Formats: sequence, C-alpha cells, structure tokens
Amino acid sequence: MGKTIALKVEALTKTFRDGGRKLVRAVDNATFHVEEGEVVGLLGPNGAGKTTTIKCALGLMGPDSGRITVFGEDVQSGYPGILRKMSAVLEGSRNLYWRLTVWENILFFSALHGVASSEDKAYFNHLLNLFSLEKKRNVEVRKLSQGMKQKTSVVCALARRTPLVFLDEPTLGLDVETSLELRTLLKQLALEEDRAFVVSSHDMDVIQDVCGRVIIMSQGRVVVDDRVSSLIDLFRTKAYRIALRGSVPPGLEERLRQEFAGASVAEIDSGTEVRVTLSEDDDIYRLMDILRDADAVIDEISHEEIDMEKVYLEVVRKERELL
Amino acid sequence: MNLGTVFLAVFRREWTMIKRYMVNSISSLMSVYLIFILIFMGFKSMSNYVMAGSLEGSLEGTVVGFFVWTFTIYAFSDLSWSLISEAQAGTLEQLYLAPCGFKWVGACTVLANLVFSLVPIMVLLFAMMATTGKWMNLDFVSLVPLLIITLLGAYGFGFALGGLALVFKRIQALFQIMQFVFVGFLIVPIRVAWAKFLPLAMGNSLIYTVMVDGARLWELPLNDILIAIAVGAAYLAVGIVIFSRCENVAKSRGLLGHY
Repeated sequence: MGKTIALKVEALTKTFRDGGRKLVRAVDNATFHVEEGEVVGLLGPNGAGKTTTIKCALGLMGPDSGRITVFGEDVQSGYPGILRKMSAVLEGSRNLYWRLTVWENILFFSALHGVASSEDKAYFNHLLNLFSLEKKRNVEVRKLSQGMKQKTSVVCALARRTPLVFLDEPTLGLDVETSLELRTLLKQLALEEDRAFVVSSHDMDVIQDVCGRVIIMSQGRVVVDDRVSSLIDLFRTKAYRIALRGSVPPGLEERLRQEFAGASVAEIDSGTEVRVTLSEDDDIYRLMDILRDADAVIDEISHEEIDMEKVYLEVVRKERELL
Repeated sequence: MNLGTVFLAVFRREWTMIKRYMVNSISSLMSVYLIFILIFMGFKSMSNYVMAGSLEGSLEGTVVGFFVWTFTIYAFSDLSWSLISEAQAGTLEQLYLAPCGFKWVGACTVLANLVFSLVPIMVLLFAMMATTGKWMNLDFVSLVPLLIITLLGAYGFGFALGGLALVFKRIQALFQIMQFVFVGFLIVPIRVAWAKFLPLAMGNSLIYTVMVDGARLWELPLNDILIAIAVGAAYLAVGIVIFSRCENVAKSRGLLGHY
C-alpha cells in the first residue's frame, strides 16, 4: 500500500500585480505532492514562487486557480480548521514574540493549535533538549543570538505537533556551525517522527543533507521533481573533468563555450583542465571532435564530483537559457 | 478547537506583555491623566469669568466623557494597533496559522485587553474624581453592561481600521484622527435626533445618567438602551465586514506578512 499523501498541489497558479501594475505570474500551473514521513526540498532562485506556494498551502494567500489538499482535505474549503495539520517557520518573519521567553513562545503558539497537555509539555522539553535550548528556556527571545532565535522558531513550529511542517529558509542567517547543527536535528526528527517536511532553502548543503527529494521551481513552474540521489547520479554521468597535456590549445575555450554552456578551461600545474557538463547522450562525441580539432592530447577523463549545488545551478542555468 | 485554551494563551501573553512593558503602560496612563488635568485647569480658569456653579454640569460631563473616551480609545486601539504591531513584529502570519481562525484570536485579544484595561481606567477615574472633587455614582451592575454596549461601536472602528491597516499598512495618521473623532461623538448632545445614531453617543449619555444622576440600569428608558445596543451592533457589524473584505484583499495580494 502506498504512503498517505500529506500535501498535494495541483495546477496551482497565482498572479500578482507588480508596482507598475503589470501582471506577474508568481506560480504557474505548479503540480507536486509530498508524502507522509517525507522530507522534500523546495528550491529555486529568488522570485521562483517557493514562498508563494507555501503561503497558498497555508491559506495565507488565495490562489487564482488550482487546488491544494492536505491529507486529502481541500485547504480552501477546510480553512482555518485544516491548519490543525500544518505549521510553519516563515521566511523573512520573526515568527516569535521577542519580549516573551523561549518557553512562553512555545506555550503560546502550541496553545493556539490546542496543544497544551502535560504530555505535550514533556514533548516541548524534549525539543528544548534536542535543540540545546533548555538553559535558555526562561530567557527573552530578544536576548538570544540569531542562531538561537531561529532554533526557537523551528521548535515553536514543531511543538504544534502537526503532521505537515513547512520550513521556509530555516538556516537563513545562521553561522556554519549552527546551520550544521540544525541540519542534523532536522534529519534526526525526520527519522524519529513520521511527519512530512517541506524545506525551502538556498543552502544546498541543507537540502542535500536533509531532503530525500527535491522540487526545483523556476519562473513559477516546477521544472524538476526527483530524488536527490537520482539527480546527483544523473548529473554525475553528465559532468566531466578532462585533463589535457600541455598548455591551453588556442581557441579551445571559446569553441567549448559555444557548444556547451558553462564549460571552463583552466591551466593547472600538470597541464590543462577542462570541465564540462553535457546535456545529450551524443554530446560526448561532439566534445571529442572539438578536442581533436584543437590538437589536444587527453591524459585523463573522469566524472566530476557532483553535489546538489552543482545540480541546482545547472538546472537554473538551463532554465534561463530557455527563456 | 478548544477556544478556552486559546483564550488562556492570549490572556497569559497579554499579561506577560503588560508586565514586560510596565513603564510604557504606566506612562501612557499618566499622559492621559495629564491631558485631563489640562482640561480641568482650563475649566477652573473659565469659571473665574462666569457665575460660580454654572459649569458644574459640564465638569461632571467632562469627567464621564473622559472616562468613556479613555475606555473607547483602549478598545479601539487594542484591535487596530495590535494588528499593526503584530504585522511590524512579524508575528501576524503565525497568528493566522491558528486553526480556530484569526478572528477568534483577535476576539480573545480584545477580551483580554478589556479585562486588563479595567484596572488602570478605574484608577484613572478615581484620580479624576479626586482631582475635581466630583465623586460620582459607581454602580458597576449598571455601568459594566452600558460600557460594553458603548464599546461595541469602538470595536467596530477598531476592526475597520485594523482591516485597512492590513491592506494600506501605514495608517497611523487616520488612527490619530479617529481619537479626535471619538471626542466629537462623545460631546454631541443626543437631544439632536441624528446624534443618537452616532457611535458612542447614546451609550455615553446613558453612562452619564448612571454616574451623575445615580440612576440604575433598569430605571433607564428601555428605548434608549435598545437604540444604544442596535447602533453599537450595527457599527460592529460594519467594522467586521470591512475587516473581512480587507483581509480577503490582503490574502489575494499576499500582503499579510508585509509591513
């Protein structure tokens, strides 16, 4: 039996008028789903429609057309009761009362979701321990570091014990150490609790580390919806590093760039290094033809090490080329 | 959704905020008192030029009017000002994620603020009575229902301005103007036929009758009480409709989280 669908977005479209009254399509016919217990990354450049999609799912914005269901219930018709199943850390928002303490914030926001039993409070304590905030529980949020504030926001979202959690840029503004810590915690929670997480982030390390699947949006459209491991494998087979003997053959770089966008040629100690990502299966033959025409002597060909950041940049670059 | 849990949470939050912003709360009350002192001194200097006793009624009216005005300003500003400050603080969208709906969180906030404003406003009333030497009838059984009826109109304006704040954001100027408009509503004599249908006016007149003339609630003309209820409810309903419309516009344009 398949897993329960936690979030289903079908043909979602949302337009806004910008300052010049021009109609901007923020989300364009977006369709995707998230299963229970899944951690899905929602990626895209600024203005790709990620936050708008999340806000439509949370009922904070009304879509122009399309349908969003959460655990089978329509968000529009089920609003606001449907919010019992969702919580969120929203980007660019404080999400917390700075004059209240960590514990007071947790109690307040979870009580809005009707989560206030003694068993719930034991869970809040568990979260405080997990996020190393127990010593700060009685400290006003305004006195905390940026990292601790962000961790408190995440704890407040988790404390509502909803089966679907949206984390919009949860590591924004965090130092490397805190970001790493938050990643580890999110991974642990995803394993321990059978909740669905939708994580929107520009930090590809977070996405690669935490998410099982990614949805990449560009210009409001969903352009990629695949498992992180599949994407990395796919791009690994397409990205090559070629070591050439001697200095850079004249005209090679221009020729490669004409044929393969993003290709680079650089001199290294042992000769010349070419980095290129191919799009089609027969591109490899064209690459070899160009190298032969340039009288290049190949010393070594290897697959380039690929991470989520390179995959993402490649997808976004291709999308820009299509425009 | 258990609204009791939500109310308790809001009540606790408001109480904690009052404690944390104690200096601010006291200073705003002090400034209201200082305004009253200035008005009172104006009265005293005027009475040097007119026959003694001729301003007695007006002075009592001023104390009652000031008392009702303070209540209405607290009520009106609770709603609209808390919406603005929540949007500024970045917590408004989180309140909109409450499964009971934001309107109930707002209603609980209004109720909690009403409870918490009772003590400082009563302190202010006693200070005003002590200053003027006019000790009035404080029959709470009659006063509390009349105050609530009078405040309905103020809450209507609070909802309307709160809604406008969601869409247009910086409406502080309108907010300040409204404080003076409320003074107008309170000083218009209800002998003028249409004045009965202004917000606050009829309620204020009834409160005056209780506090100054010593009448009990059941001794007041039923017709006047019904007019006060109908007018208050009508302004509240219009305010809620304006708020809902503005809320829809804000959601459609994605303005909830912006300030």
